[in-house]
Amino acid sequence: MRLLTNTSFPFMKYRHVFVGASLLLVAASLGLLFAGPGLVMGVDFAGGTQLTLKFVEEPDLGRVRAALESLRLGAVTIQRFDEVGAHEFLVRVQNPKQEGDFTAQMVAALDRELNGAAGGLRMNLQGMEAIRDDLVAADPDRVGGDVEDRRRHYQPMAEGILALRKEKGILTSAADLQGLSVLSAASRQYLATAARFGAFSLLAADNVGPLVGRDLRNKAAQAVGFSLVGMLVYIWFRFRFAYGVGAVVALFHDVIITLGALSLTGREMNLPTVAALLTLVGYSVNDTVVIFDRIRERLKLDRGKSLPDTMDLAINQTLSRTVITSGLTFITVLCLYLFGGDVINTFAFVLVVGIIIGTYSSIYIASPVALAISNLLERRREARRRR
Amino acid sequence: MARKLTWRWVLIGVVTAFGVYSMWPTSKIKLGLDLRGGIHLVLQVNTDDAVRAEVDDAMERVRGELSEKGFPPVSMTRLAEGEVGFRFKPAPNTPDDVLRDVLDARLPDFKVSRGVEVTATLKPEVVRAVRDMAVRQGLETIRNRVDQFGVAEPTIQRQGIEGDRIVVQLPGVDDPGRVKDLIRSTAFLEIKPVVAVAPTREALLAARGGVVPDDSEVVPGDVEDLQGRVTGREYYLLKKASVITGRDLRNARRSQDQYNQPAVSFTLNPAGAKKFEAYTAAHIGDRMAIVLDNKVRSAPVIRGTISDSGIIEGNFTVASAEDLALVLRAGALPASITYLEERTVGPSLGRDSIVRGLRAGLAGLVLVMAFMLFYYRGAGINANVALVLNAVLLLGAMAAFKATLTLPGIAGIILTIGMAVDANVLIFERIREELALGKTVRSAVDLGFSRAFATIVDSNLTTLIAALFLFQFGTGPIKGFAVTLSIGIIISMFTAVFVSRTLFDWVLSRRGRVETLSI
Repeated sequence: MRLLTNTSFPFMKYRHVFVGASLLLVAASLGLLFAGPGLVMGVDFAGGTQLTLKFVEEPDLGRVRAALESLRLGAVTIQRFDEVGAHEFLVRVQNPKQEGDFTAQMVAALDRELNGAAGGLRMNLQGMEAIRDDLVAADPDRVGGDVEDRRRHYQPMAEGILALRKEKGILTSAADLQGLSVLSAASRQYLATAARFGAFSLLAADNVGPLVGRDLRNKAAQAVGFSLVGMLVYIWFRFRFAYGVGAVVALFHDVIITLGALSLTGREMNLPTVAALLTLVGYSVNDTVVIFDRIRERLKLDRGKSLPDTMDLAINQTLSRTVITSGLTFITVLCLYLFGGDVINTFAFVLVVGIIIGTYSSIYIASPVALAISNLLERRREARRRR
Repeated sequence: MARKLTWRWVLIGVVTAFGVYSMWPTSKIKLGLDLRGGIHLVLQVNTDDAVRAEVDDAMERVRGELSEKGFPPVSMTRLAEGEVGFRFKPAPNTPDDVLRDVLDARLPDFKVSRGVEVTATLKPEVVRAVRDMAVRQGLETIRNRVDQFGVAEPTIQRQGIEGDRIVVQLPGVDDPGRVKDLIRSTAFLEIKPVVAVAPTREALLAARGGVVPDDSEVVPGDVEDLQGRVTGREYYLLKKASVITGRDLRNARRSQDQYNQPAVSFTLNPAGAKKFEAYTAAHIGDRMAIVLDNKVRSAPVIRGTISDSGIIEGNFTVASAEDLALVLRAGALPASITYLEERTVGPSLGRDSIVRGLRAGLAGLVLVMAFMLFYYRGAGINANVALVLNAVLLLGAMAAFKATLTLPGIAGIILTIGMAVDANVLIFERIREELALGKTVRSAVDLGFSRAFATIVDSNLTTLIAALFLFQFGTGPIKGFAVTLSIGIIISMFTAVFVSRTLFDWVLSRRGRVETLSI
């Protein structure tokens, strides 16, 4: 089977149309970024404390919000995580002016609000050692001896409970412990009365102080900046200056439009999002280099031809490859986007958008810009010669 | 041709064997906290505290000594914020030589200027050393506490060589409150009389009818060989009442004993010295245990009476003596700590993202492989073999380099696999072009590979350059991405070009004259 062989689409002829369309898209994206809603900075860059909570059932978000706002730590945002049926939420307090961790305070406030009475053995919020030590103190199996002996006795039980919680995400009631064979009958009975299960469990907590937030932001920007310069220099060295500029302009084009899409959909900028943007940069530059390489080869083979014609020929000759590779990569990231779960959803979104934009820009942005720059340089050289 | 193929097969075989050996079992691949659950803390040691303590200490020394000689200084204050030191007015009748002697003896680390007032500022290099020591001490203290937590593979590192930040990563731990309590609590140093020592708890208690006497307690300690490596555990029966505690300690540093062996010397405050003198005088020949954070660090024999300063001898290396001195000083954290960053990933969330990410990634990979087979027929098999090998080698290399696999790392792998597929697509399309131009199968394959190779090198090198910069400047997840991407690019050049080529040549060499190619 063959796709798109011996095509001769006049890509360069309509380049102004596409460059114009791209300029509009870039302008719209910049508008969104600077004049519109801008980028939603996630906890990595903005600083703050973010909890990922799993509830037994759909919670009353008003109460959740009120409980957190009563702490007066900063603006509270609540966002659904994962599917509706999972009852998982991201709860964040943005506190860019204060260093410090507010996880414990936030959890305590929610515990008070949603679970009522404080204290007791909190099965969904406490760690293995706390649960073990509670059993050690209560000693339902009457092990006696010193603390060490009792710890040895209850350790496997506490570990079993934690493993179960890990599997389920949240323990809903003492009935969940029925199937846990490491638990002795007396301990199970004890837990049925003493343990509090509560309305939620803590799946993850992220706290980033403003100092680190700024650091992460600067370092990410630095990393991206330097790698762009590195690529510009390499392409300049391997091809020509005009091509280096073409490739880097195409990259900026891709990144700006993808950021615009992030802004439009209100998705968050986090470290993994930056990694996704970098993946897109890598992908796009790869695509561009393949076409440039063919242009360089054609320029050597047929010398009489004009640069736009050569570019057209090169793009057409590599078109089947471009479509197949982009298509395959697109399929992979689409799978990630659709089935990969919420943790990598934004990540996959960036790639889905980025691959479309990146493929397009390799054809319609990188080459026309390279053409324009090389014409410009040519004209200046001409002018200097005439003088 | 055949001989050339043989060595290529050998190379591929060796590399594959290495890859499989390194990655199998897959548990050898270190998963990042985002995938496996755990705690990540970045904390800052406020080294200003330690510098201030150093100045306060010096002020006390000078005041004490001058007062002892009968010339108590009139006023003594710390210098204003931003300067490190203190100033005081000596008593008007202080003889010049007395003042000079005291200053020379007590303030070797200070730059002293004398006028009506004496101003002493801590030398900049000493300030640096004090700060450095504070961070190292903090690091050591935290390490001790975390050891007690019993976490497998904890990471406790200083960020940067001269940085004042410490990164703590505890995989599998899910209770940040407890970890922080443990780090914040002051380590408690105690010196206690040793009643008995045995290799196991049971053996220790056997002589006492299996029960711990009321006035005693069982405390574990590590057994170390001459190089200071931990080789096992032993148990000490100690008296509960301590002879002295960390509150009695003034300082500890590494020194040498009379045989020039590394040792640790310490000084006690007057109250501690009195207690210690009385005890050691009465117990020469007995052992006493130095207990820190409920663990016996060493149990030296009392050789003589010790009052305000003593020396701990034992099988020390320079490093282990330094460590013990640090541990002794670290009775309390030397400086306060601010938590800058804290992340807890519940294991269920991490597991969920692995399972889903892997499932989606695999679905994508299967679709890609199916397409390659459908579109390139025979040649598609080559590409798929190369692709699978690519994945195996990538995981193998990550395990061998002890690189950590994180979520962004998985992104790096996806990009790598994309590039490996792309390399084969480039080659195959080129071969098809050459065939369409009427070349023979052999020369089409040759040309296809050699022409596509230049393109592949260019595109891969461009990406590799970007990846190296990201590795250099990136943090956390970005670094993880850069690592998998760099390793992946190098591997994909090997599999997509070298392995795929070898497969082509092998197929062609088995068929003699070749008219057609399944591509």
